[in-house]
Amino acid sequence: MPEGRRRIAPFIALAVALAVGALLIVLAGSSSARDESADTFLLDKPAPPVVSTLLSAEAGAADLAFDLSRRKGSWVVLNFFDPDCVPCIAEHDELVALDRQQRQLGDAGAELYTIINKGSDAEVRQWFAEKGGDWPKVRDPGGSISVAFGVAQVPETWVIDPNGIVRARLIGEVTAEGMGGLLQQLRETMS
Amino acid sequence: MNRSAAWRRAKGWPGWALLGVIVVALLAIGATRAGGPATPEERVEAISRRLACPICDGESVFESRNNASASIRQEVRTQVAEGLRTDDEIISFIEQRYTARVLLVPRATGIDALVWALPVVAFVCAVAGLVFTFRRWKRAADTVPTEGDRVLVDAALRAGLDGP
Repeated sequence: MPEGRRRIAPFIALAVALAVGALLIVLAGSSSARDESADTFLLDKPAPPVVSTLLSAEAGAADLAFDLSRRKGSWVVLNFFDPDCVPCIAEHDELVALDRQQRQLGDAGAELYTIINKGSDAEVRQWFAEKGGDWPKVRDPGGSISVAFGVAQVPETWVIDPNGIVRARLIGEVTAEGMGGLLQQLRETMS
Repeated sequence: MNRSAAWRRAKGWPGWALLGVIVVALLAIGATRAGGPATPEERVEAISRRLACPICDGESVFESRNNASASIRQEVRTQVAEGLRTDDEIISFIEQRYTARVLLVPRATGIDALVWALPVVAFVCAVAGLVFTFRRWKRAADTVPTEGDRVLVDAALRAGLDGP
């Protein structure tokens, strides 16, 4: 019996060593850094249809319709947002700066839209009244826009080119400088 | 000894036969049962139980109360109401968008199939190992002294008694 056990032991040790080695290779191969543009199957594909209404600046005013496919010809930046999300609050000043920066570029500048991932009309209206930002806010009833883009957590920012093709997905907070640079780079690769 | 062993074995047969009949009957019932959801709401439930909430640990979209899961449930409900996609197609639709972290029940194709196959392989190996070991134990226990052994022992005892 002891001889038999001794004969098996090296094989068990070898199997454990192989398993640990494989685990190390898997761990070493995974990237820990968050890339500029996150992975999505929509990258370089047409953006999903986004048909909804815009939140009016004042309660009671008529809501305008929004259809992403009618924004073709312009660069579009969609920012998924929720008034309770702390990173969204932290990111907000950068979005205000980004909006200003892109408006200065005239027709070449990107249009910024907020997609309301969560929160009532009143909450969102009050949030923007306090913190500024007069770009259009798109309602997402039932979360269908978020599901179409696969957005699970906010903030997320997507870039769609003038042909309606998804060019970038950024998970987490963005900066005006980083976004400005990315948009410039994308414009150059397209022209 | 051979006669009693054969008789013991024969006595066990009805039990084994009955067990076999029960297993086959249960398998037949399980395979042919008209299962599956009947109403659209049951279909929504069945699909959302197979999807993992993309931002939680081990919770299904059906159980999870957060915003992302509510949105996915709503999307599943919409697609079920439209009736254009099968359950698997709806799950693929969600999986594609949330980059494949949303499957609670692994697929049975490709490398994912290992998840299903390995436990079966392990079970078969374990049963084979047990059968092998029990056989060996039984063979050891079945050893009975032969006539030659008795002669040897008797001789040794006699020698011991006769000795100093």
